[in-house]
Amino acid sequence: MADETRKKEILDKLRNGVIQYDEDACREGAQEAVAEGLDANEAIFDGLVSGMEEVGRLFEAQEYFVPEILMCADALYAGLEILKPHCKQMDLGVKGSVVIGTVEGDVHDIGKNLVKMMFDVAGFTVYDLGRDVPLDKFVDEQLKTDSELVCLSAMMTTSMVGMPKVIEKIKEKNPNCMIMIGGAPTSKELADKWGADGYAEDASNALKEAIKMVAFLKKLRDEKAQKK
Amino acid sequence: MDAKQLKQFLQAEGATLVGVGDVTKALPKEIVHLNRGIAIAVNRNLTRETVGHLVRLQTLAEGWLKANGHRSLSIPPDSDRRKDKLITKLYKLFCHKTAATCSGLGWIGKNGLIINEQYGSKLTWATVLTDAPLGADRPCVSSRCGDCDLCVRHCPSGAVQGHLWSLRNPLREIVAYDKCRSLKSGRTALKGKPNCGFCVTVCPYSRNGGARK
Repeated sequence: MADETRKKEILDKLRNGVIQYDEDACREGAQEAVAEGLDANEAIFDGLVSGMEEVGRLFEAQEYFVPEILMCADALYAGLEILKPHCKQMDLGVKGSVVIGTVEGDVHDIGKNLVKMMFDVAGFTVYDLGRDVPLDKFVDEQLKTDSELVCLSAMMTTSMVGMPKVIEKIKEKNPNCMIMIGGAPTSKELADKWGADGYAEDASNALKEAIKMVAFLKKLRDEKAQKK
Repeated sequence: MDAKQLKQFLQAEGATLVGVGDVTKALPKEIVHLNRGIAIAVNRNLTRETVGHLVRLQTLAEGWLKANGHRSLSIPPDSDRRKDKLITKLYKLFCHKTAATCSGLGWIGKNGLIINEQYGSKLTWATVLTDAPLGADRPCVSSRCGDCDLCVRHCPSGAVQGHLWSLRNPLREIVAYDKCRSLKSGRTALKGKPNCGFCVTVCPYSRNGGARK
C-alpha cells in the first residue's frame, strides 16, 4: 500500500481530473491507483465522486453549464473504466440491476445518460436500452433480467404518455419493481398518479439527485469505515 | 475583445481560414451562453493528417480562450466523432455550416456544401463555440452560385436539386440526401469506398482556388 502523501496525491489527481474535465489525468490517476495497490472503491469515491460533487456545486453556482457537466462525466468514466474491474463488491445495502431507457418516440437522452452514470458509479448492473425504446421492450427486459429498478425518460409530452402503460404492465407482472420516471414534462403529481416511485425533472435535476445519491453512498461508506 | 489576435495566432499555426460569427440565433438551450462561433478551416488535399491538424488547432483555440478567462466548446470535424462519449450528444446540436456562414467564410452551394470564394468546397471544417465577446465578422446570407449548375448536371444520383440557398428560406431542401446516401452506400458495398465527390471537384470555385494555390 502506498504511503499517505502518495495516496492523497493520486486521489487529488482523480478529483481534479474530473473537475477540470481532463480525461487523460483521470486515466493516469486511475492507472497509478491500480499500480500502487490503492483500494479501487476508495479511488472511486474519494477521488472521482468527490470531484463530481464539486462539479455539482459549480453547476449550482452557475460556474459550469451542461457542456462542462458532460465533459466532466466523460472524464469520470475514463477513470471508472480502469478502476471498475478492481472493485470489490461493496456491501452497502444497495446492489442490483436497473433497466433504463428513453421511451418510444423520444430521442433526447442527455438526462438519461447522466442518471445512468450514477448507477454505474454506485456499482449497479445497468441494462441501457438506449433511446426511442418500444414500450414492451421495457417490460420484457425487466422480466428477463429481474431488475429491481426501471427508469423511464422522456422529454416530450407526446412520448411521455407511453409511460403509464409501461408502469401498469410492469407493476402487474412484478409489483415489487421500483419505477422512476424523468424528463421535462414529468412531475411529482404525475409520478404519484401513475404509480411511479420517483421522478426527476431534467438533466440538471437528475444530476443533482444523482450526486446526492452518490454522496449519500459515500457517507454510508465513511460511517462504516469509522465503525471498524 | 479583439478577434484579430486569435485569427493571426491560428493562421500562424496552420489554419487556412479562421472566422468569428455571431451564432446566437442558431443555439439550442443547452449551449445558449456560447454565442460566438469560431469557424476554422483547413484546405484539405485529402491527407490523413487533416483531421488531426484541425483538432490540434481547436485545442490551441480553447487554450487561448481559457487563458483569457472564457469558456469554450469544441465541435470536432464530422469524421472525428467518438460515438461512446456523453459530450458527443451535444455535437449534433450545432453544425459547422452555421459557424462558417455566420462568420462570412462561405455560403451553402447548390451542392449543399460550404463554398468559399477562394477554396470552394475543398475545405475541412471545425468549430469552437465560446462566450468570449469577440468582434463578429459580417455573415454570408445568400448564395453566390448564380446560374452555374455544373454540380446539378454531374451528380450521378440526381440528389442535387439546383436550388439556391438563402437565409430567407432556410427550410428549403437543397440536396436530396437520401439519394446521395443510397448511391454512396451502394458503391461502398461494391468497392469498399464511396468514390464520389463530383459536386466538390466540378465546382469552379474549388478548381480555381485549388489550381491557383
